[in-house]
This record gives sequence, structure tokens and C-alpha cells, in this order.
Amino acid sequence: MNEKRTEPNAESGNPAAGAAVPRFSAACGTCGSTCGPQPPTATHGGDGNRQPVANQTSAGPFAAFRDWRLDRAAYARQWKQRTGGKVIGYFCTYAPEELMYAAGILPVRILGSHEVQNVTEPHIFGMFCPFCRDCLAQGLLGRYEYLDGIMIAQSCLHIRQTFTSWQKHVPIDYSYYLPMPHHVQSRHAAPFLAKELAIFQASLEDWLGRKIAAPALENAIDIYNRNRQLLWRVYETRQAADPPLSGEEALEMVLAAQMVDKQDHNAALESLLARLPERRLPRPTGARLMILGSKDDDIEFIHMVEACGATFVIDDHCTGTRYFWNNTDPDGDPLDRLARRYVQRVPCPTKDWPARTRVPHAVALAKKYGAQGAIVMQQKFCDPHEADVPALTKALNDAGLKTLFLEFDVTVPIGQFKVRVEAFLEMLREDDLF
Amino acid sequence: MSAAQEFWRWKEYRWHDPAVDWRSAEIISAGVDIGSVSSQAVILADGRLYAFSSQRTGFDSPESANQAMKWAMEDTGLTLKDLHYTVGTGYGRVNVPFADKAITEIACHARGANFMHGPSVRTILDMGGQDCKAIRCDEKGKVEAFLMNDKCAAGTGRGMEVFADLLAVPIEEVGELSLSVEEEPPPVSSTCVVFAKSEASALLRAGWPKNKVLAAYCSAMAHRVVTLLERIGVQKEFAITGGIAKNRGVVRRLEQELKLTALSSSYDSQIAGALGGALFAHTLETKRRKSGAVPATESA
Repeated sequence: MNEKRTEPNAESGNPAAGAAVPRFSAACGTCGSTCGPQPPTATHGGDGNRQPVANQTSAGPFAAFRDWRLDRAAYARQWKQRTGGKVIGYFCTYAPEELMYAAGILPVRILGSHEVQNVTEPHIFGMFCPFCRDCLAQGLLGRYEYLDGIMIAQSCLHIRQTFTSWQKHVPIDYSYYLPMPHHVQSRHAAPFLAKELAIFQASLEDWLGRKIAAPALENAIDIYNRNRQLLWRVYETRQAADPPLSGEEALEMVLAAQMVDKQDHNAALESLLARLPERRLPRPTGARLMILGSKDDDIEFIHMVEACGATFVIDDHCTGTRYFWNNTDPDGDPLDRLARRYVQRVPCPTKDWPARTRVPHAVALAKKYGAQGAIVMQQKFCDPHEADVPALTKALNDAGLKTLFLEFDVTVPIGQFKVRVEAFLEMLREDDLF
Repeated sequence: MSAAQEFWRWKEYRWHDPAVDWRSAEIISAGVDIGSVSSQAVILADGRLYAFSSQRTGFDSPESANQAMKWAMEDTGLTLKDLHYTVGTGYGRVNVPFADKAITEIACHARGANFMHGPSVRTILDMGGQDCKAIRCDEKGKVEAFLMNDKCAAGTGRGMEVFADLLAVPIEEVGELSLSVEEEPPPVSSTCVVFAKSEASALLRAGWPKNKVLAAYCSAMAHRVVTLLERIGVQKEFAITGGIAKNRGVVRRLEQELKLTALSSSYDSQIAGALGGALFAHTLETKRRKSGAVPATESA
């Protein structure tokens, strides 16, 4: 199932709302500023995490993933104590995690908290996406104090501004900007990236005061490949008529993968896979949905949709398949192989040109997983994703899927989205009402 | 402030058809639409419109539902027990205590408009109290696609209420008055209700008469929903539902922009959602009886 794809990915989040007071979504989508309270939206816990959603279904075999996500700071601190290693926060899934892992570093993804905040206004342009400001807020609010370093692999300008602003305003020991090529469809992209990886490696070695041994890098590549294979195997089970896991649980699983040591995650996945065959969701599957977008870590939204009588069976976003869909080749020079892996992965729209390779990939996934409908989301002001929406929508419609487009902000208005989602599900349910 | 000064306050009303004997009907179905601003209850006797009410929504949705239904049943002898199947819809659809099922107002408006305007209607614009929906449907009134305003509540009934109050013009007269201008002014530029109100205040201070300010606002509102409609694709058989459908100042300008005439109907545009709910209720009760299932009201 590791499809042959030549693509890059994207993810940076997007724009959003201005400052405001907790419990209200502050952004006026039209004027992009705070123009008055909107209905209360879900609020989430701090510390870069969110509180458990009521009636959350991810008990049992998925509890470990959720616990990691909810207390990622504690996990990272314990990991440092246990291993004596350093932790680097990265901003985009183009970050070559294997290289850092081989250096004894735990790479963790910096994500937002989905809380209204008022600390980023002076630092991020008003028309930049909500995700980039949500991420920066976490740094400014001191929720990633356990990080020893930060790094970014170039994806989009919005998230890069988060990185540079973090560099400037949050005290940090180490930071690195990796010029990940944009034109990944060029034959020069992989060789270029391989050279950049070598420079990044030298920078890490300089910072740590020791070399990254060749066997350590091979080991890291193996562990990361293993993780992707295990994630694929869990995803495969979602093709069943009644998938043994919900979309919310799948999301918890992938999010945790971006936060914890892959060896711990692999052990949890092995244990999960042993338990999945006899597992059933405690509710009907309902409508089979796909979700597509930049990053969709809004657990509360996913939970709301599934509670309306649906199950997400597949996705195309960078807190899902785009993160782990492509493996690294086993043979050859390790940096060349890693470079090829990141250049050829399922692309982010920022890198998916001149050919739009992500569209046929997404349609193939939808068909393979038997999705009936697709929720196409984007972060507000995310131009690369927005530019893909018409092509994506048309291709999915042509393939027989109905689509619902939603624009996300730091917080989502659950009530307003719910009526759209319910109406969408009513459309999918054929003629129940007629 | 006394009630007389509340220019935004639209008239609440009820109606029932004295010519119909509901006791001889096989199926009594009902729809209750709890909107953000107004609530309607509609009762059908064997699929035929029998009674309805329309009133303001209070802060307590279940209570608003109870009151709307109670008022619709007034003088008819009907009680809640006589309703075979009830559908709740609208913003408060899950808060209708006596409903058998909740269905979105999007599906209900399409179904209601199909009943009001006939099976040819393909595009529906529901202009409600705090949101606005463009709906495309098939000949049965089944939704094929829809879009809702997702940025702010400009271009909705609540915005019009704000202007009625600002200009001290009873809400029912806003549309006509806005059409009395000799020359159409440019629309107000702000899309935000609050900023549009500030802009209107400035226009008044600059000496604009009320009708001209209202024309500028109605025009902005029409312009705004046209963009929503164009995104979903407007077909010729086009109808408007919801409270704003009663505002000729908005409807006329909308028709001019679209170069189309909205279908007219003898039914009250504001009950479309509740009517659609009652029609679904009728279908669901019919299906239930065919399947021999336990009455929904007893299993609930």
C-alpha cells in the first residue's frame, strides 16, 4: 500500500483570528479582525493540549495515544530524563525526523491548542493562517519550555513566520531552517535536498558536539519505516464495512506519533494491532467519510461529525496519511534515500506543481476506502490549500463523492458547523426522508 | 423603552383553516422550526396545511417550541397527543421536547419550498434571522447542494432589525420605504452589521433621508447574498424563503442583480422550514405505518 507517489506535502496551517477573550471565537472571517463575539465555541485545555472531549470513544486500546497527546509535555520531560537526549520541536512534516532521531534527539511536532489567545497579534500578519498563529502562541505562552531546539523545513511562508518569530521572541538553545525545495517535481530536488541534509547533519553534530554514527542513522530509518508500516496496517482495517476504529481514534494515533518516541509508538501500535481483529465500534458505522485538508488536529470537530452518525475512514492531511504514507528506501546512501523520501512523499499543495499529483492520489484513497462523502477543509487564509479546493472538489464529485467545504479557524463554531454537517449527512443518506 | 418604540418588533401571528376537520384526518403531522430569531409551528392534516403560528424565539428553546405549538393549536381542539409525528428543525431542532425526530432546516426549507412553489423549484434562498442559505434541490425537494453564510450575520434578518431601530421605521415598512428613493444610492460598504450601522449613522449626519439609507442597506444585503447564490449556481426556478422574503426592498434588488424574478406563492415564506418539517413528519409517519412499527410517539 505504499503507493508510488512523487509528491510533497504541506501542512502548514493557517490563519485566523485575532485576540480575544476565552470562550468566544474572536475572528470575524470577513474583516479578519475582532469584530465582536460569536457564539461560544469549544475551548480546550492549555499546555499545548486539550481536555478530553465528553463521551470520547478512545478508551481501551487507544487510551495510550490520547494520554500521550493530553500530556505531551510530561512525556517529553520524562523522555529527556530517561535518555539524556534533547528535544527539538518542528513546524512542518517535511522535517527529516530520522536525522534528528539518529542524533539522539526526540523530534516533536509543534501544534496549536485551539484556544483563543491574544499574544500573537504583534508578530503575525493578519492575513496569515490560524494555525501559524496558534503555534506561535504556544511558544510565547511558554508551553514548549521543554524544547532544546526548533527547526523547520520550508513549506509555506505562514508557518515560516511562526518559526522566525519564535526564534526571535522565545529563548531557545538551537534553531535551524532547512531549505526544503519547493519544486519537488524537478529532478534536481532530491540531490539538492540530500546536500541540505548533510549541512543539517553537520549543524546538529556541531550543536551536540558529537558525530551521528552511520548505524544510528540506519537504525532511525528502520524505526521510522516500521512506524509507517504499522500505521498503514491500522489504516488498512478501516476499509472494512464496519471499521474497528473511529476517525477520532485514528487521529489520536497519528497525533501521538508526532509527539512521542517512535519506539514507544511502535510498541503501542503492535499492541493495538493485536487487539483490533476482535474490536468493534460501539455504534453503527453510518456514513463513510473522508477528510481532506492541511492539518486536522481538531479532535472536537472530528468527534462532533462522528457523533452525527458517520465514521471517517480515510484522510488526506498532514496529521494523517500525508505524514506517514511514504517510506524510505532500504538501500543506498542514507541521506540520498531520506531526500528521496521527503521529495517523493504525498505533497503539500505548496509543493504540488506544476502537476497536481495530490488530486488523483486523494481520489484513489477515497475509492479504496469506500468513502461516500468528503469533508474538504482548509485553514482560513491558506492560499495553497484553497487553490486546490476547486480541483479537489471536482475530482471527488466526478468520482461520485459528495463534498462539504468548511473553513477552519483556531476554534471552530461547533453549532454552526453541526448544521452543515447534519445537512450533508442527510444528503448522503439517500431517500430516508422521501 | 416602551414596546411602541421597538421598531424592530415584527408582528407575531397564527392561522388555522376552519374548513378542515382534523378529526377526520388519518395522519396529523407537525413541524416546529426554532430559529435564532423566530419560531414557527406548522400542522398538517393528511398532508394538507391546517394550522401554523409564528412568533419570536425566547432564550429557552424548549419553551419556545411549546409556545409555538400551543399557539398553532389554539381554538382547534388539538393537543400534543393528537400529533402522530413531529419533526423539530432550525437552530433549536434538538430542543423540541415533543418532537420524534430532528432534521436540519436546510433539508426542511428545500422540502417546504418544493410544497409552496411546486416541483419545478431548483434554487432556494433562505434568508433567516441570523443566517442565510443557498440551496439547490431536485424535483422532490431533496437537497443536492447548499452553502451557508459563514463569515458573519450581515445580510440577515437581525441586521435588518438593527436598521429598523436605528431609523425608527417599523420593520414591516422598511422594504417599501427603501424603494421610494428616486435614485438608487451606492450600497453601504461594510459587510459587518455593527460597522454598517456606524456607516449609516454617518450618512444620516451627512443629511441622507431615511429611505436613502435603507436603500443603501437593502442593496448591500442583496448584493451580499447574490455572491452566495452565484457560488452554488442559480437556476431560473428560484424561490426565497424566510423572513427577509417579505422585504420587497431586498427582494426587488436581488431580482435585479440576478436578472430573475423569484417565484411567488400564496403561502407565508416564513413558515417554509416548519412546513418542510411537517411534510417530512407526514412521510415518516406513513412509512412507519407501512412498516408496522410502534408509533414514534409511544417508543420515544
